[in-house]
Amino acid sequence: MAHRGVITGTGAVCPLGRSSEEFYRRLLAGESAIRPMTTQERGTLQATHVARCDGFSPQPEIPPMKARRLDRGSQFALVACSQAIAEAGYDVSADPEAIGIAIGTGSAGAGALTEFLRVLLTESPEAAPPFHFPNTVANAPASQVSIELKLYGPNITVTQKDPSALNALLFAALSIASKRARAMIAGGVDEWNPVYALGFDRVSALRGEKRSSGIVQGEGAFALLLEQEEAARARGARPLARLSGIAVAGVPTEPYRFAPDPQAMKRAVSGALADAGVAPGQVGLWFPSRDGVEEMDAAELEAMRAVFGSPPAEILVKQAIGEMAAAGGGQLVAACRALADQDGPFGGAPGPRRALVNSFGAGGNFLAAVLEEVPREAAS
Amino acid sequence: MNSDRRVFVTGLGAVTAIGRNLSEFWQNLIAGVCGIRPVSLFDASAYRTQTAAEVRDIPDGFLSEAQRRRMSRADRMGLAAAAEAIAAAGLDLSREDPTRVGVILGGGTSGLLDSEEFYERHLRGRKARPSKVLNHLPDSITDRVAQHWGLGGIKSTITTACSSSANAMGYAFDAIVSGLADVVITGGSDVLARLTYGGFNALRSVDPDPCRPFDRERRGLSIGEAAGILVFEEAEHARRRGAPAPVEFRGYGVTSDAFHMTAPDPSGVAGGRSVRAALASARIDAEKVDYVNAHGTATPQNDSAETAALKAALGNRAREIPVSSIKSMIGHCLCASGAIEAVATAMTIHEQTVPPTIHYEHPDPACDLDYVPNQARDARVRVALSNSFAFGGNSTVVVFGRV
Repeated sequence: MAHRGVITGTGAVCPLGRSSEEFYRRLLAGESAIRPMTTQERGTLQATHVARCDGFSPQPEIPPMKARRLDRGSQFALVACSQAIAEAGYDVSADPEAIGIAIGTGSAGAGALTEFLRVLLTESPEAAPPFHFPNTVANAPASQVSIELKLYGPNITVTQKDPSALNALLFAALSIASKRARAMIAGGVDEWNPVYALGFDRVSALRGEKRSSGIVQGEGAFALLLEQEEAARARGARPLARLSGIAVAGVPTEPYRFAPDPQAMKRAVSGALADAGVAPGQVGLWFPSRDGVEEMDAAELEAMRAVFGSPPAEILVKQAIGEMAAAGGGQLVAACRALADQDGPFGGAPGPRRALVNSFGAGGNFLAAVLEEVPREAAS
Repeated sequence: MNSDRRVFVTGLGAVTAIGRNLSEFWQNLIAGVCGIRPVSLFDASAYRTQTAAEVRDIPDGFLSEAQRRRMSRADRMGLAAAAEAIAAAGLDLSREDPTRVGVILGGGTSGLLDSEEFYERHLRGRKARPSKVLNHLPDSITDRVAQHWGLGGIKSTITTACSSSANAMGYAFDAIVSGLADVVITGGSDVLARLTYGGFNALRSVDPDPCRPFDRERRGLSIGEAAGILVFEEAEHARRRGAPAPVEFRGYGVTSDAFHMTAPDPSGVAGGRSVRAALASARIDAEKVDYVNAHGTATPQNDSAETAALKAALGNRAREIPVSSIKSMIGHCLCASGAIEAVATAMTIHEQTVPPTIHYEHPDPACDLDYVPNQARDARVRVALSNSFAFGGNSTVVVFGRV
């Protein structure tokens, strides 16, 4: 098994904090940012709750003049990615071609898209503001980050339901394995949008007054800096964690349907463990995919029991920040922080510490990843 | 990564404005047939321009009426092209291990034409049918291809605007080389919508007449729509079952211009990086390149920047080889452009014939390469590149070679 890379920096802009440290600390304290929607947010939805980056300001990372050119998702992403680079102490300018970015998203561009179309559809095509059109593309956040941070390497955006961020991490790992890049920012970004919320509500995806099973939507951006391990060591970086295994499983089904298939989920989890070369008993912490879709949550538990007997201790992320295509990024960031935390959820258990991140979504899209601590001596 | 795994192209499928299948598409490409006509999918009278390369006939007869009702046009086009590619590959997917067969497509507009209707009704205070938004997300087509053929491997949808399906092929290549999959259905399907039509018009990037790539008088792009699907297969897997495999996907380069959201780097330095990354990935020298299927959108900025990029990366070789833009016939198929142009590039290698750039009349000093003006040409093509450059400065170049 070839190592997939080490994570040397993390960043987060999310409902539970504006840095990965704040997010992790409040998550461990049992806080949740899920709150009732305002009357304006709710409109005609049957959904009742949401988790948003209330009061978010792009400053100080993004100067006001620059922030005006970036939509909400791009602002989230640029702040989170800048934090990850800063924490890693990574010098992009030393070799800009060696570093790229892979971002997962389900909603990037939604604000620009709905605003452009609103004018086009209700006034006239000629009145539609050209300024918004370039930001309607899902790759706007990743591209704005590349432009601002001067990353010349691979630049990829992936959209594949709830596990989009893990899918982006997989692409990033392949980019490093194939030597297309020595470092990749991987993560996810989503912006809450009232029209998208209406669509999800109408297709019965959201939990609310009329439905007890469903998701609560979140928003935010998460970033990891994944580096080729030898390169990270050579520059004297201190890794937070190592990505040691990742696997994907699919179920053939309608794009918007849930496929609560424990066998396929088990295939993703066992695949990640096998890729990491570890036995179930060597995993001490679990970040479940669990998001409130009852049949999916039950299937995940069944799959975990089949693999582990008794599943490891768990940290629930989506109950604190909501569900989104970027949510897996939040689980990954929390896992990295937990692995580097001497006094954290692993307690004094003998090492090496390992964490499992599950990210299972609609349309039969399942990914799982195993991360492990990087012992001090191995990193020096 | 396990570098002894190679990736063969064992099947191709195409649904375009100039042909509902691969052979019609190729015949019309070589004949220089233009598919850019008046828009019929929606009322375009209030837009600055009224032409596009629309698909008029989707060969989706193999789907039931109930299946078709649930799908967007992009879904139906994608499935039709996938059915053709899988049949051409001679792949009996019911005999394959479904967990080893993936689907990685590029997407963008997907069911947008329908969700625009949902949104318009909502804006006018009318009740909107939920079925209209079911296919809004670009990953719908990917899930539907996996559903139709019962596939359980990796599914991914790349959403990097106009380079989406080129990057999808790159991801598919990496997935096979790394051992994640043995077969990947890749490419993309993308359709006309009011957002994209209005958007490019708002940017004043659309030529009211059929587009004229590399011509001095070029005034912008023509929007098109297409589905292009390629079956990528690990070489040994293909050999074992005696699959037709005349063309290999040799590698790809994906880079970021880090320059501007919509404008290319005019110096060609950024685009040249992408070409060089592709050649490095394929382990091929610039002198070995025999043909370039250009991005060639016919915007004033793209065509001169792309010309500069080819000269920067290929040196003298850029002047010796044919470079053509099939967008002059099928328009800019946005998120499917990389896929349908890859299909044309693979066919160029297979048929040893280079498709032309049509509507070419006036040489431009800033575009001084051999653009194969107006007439197809027989040529020895063993290695060919296909360029895809997107909003955000996402630049991708894919490399095909003769087996």
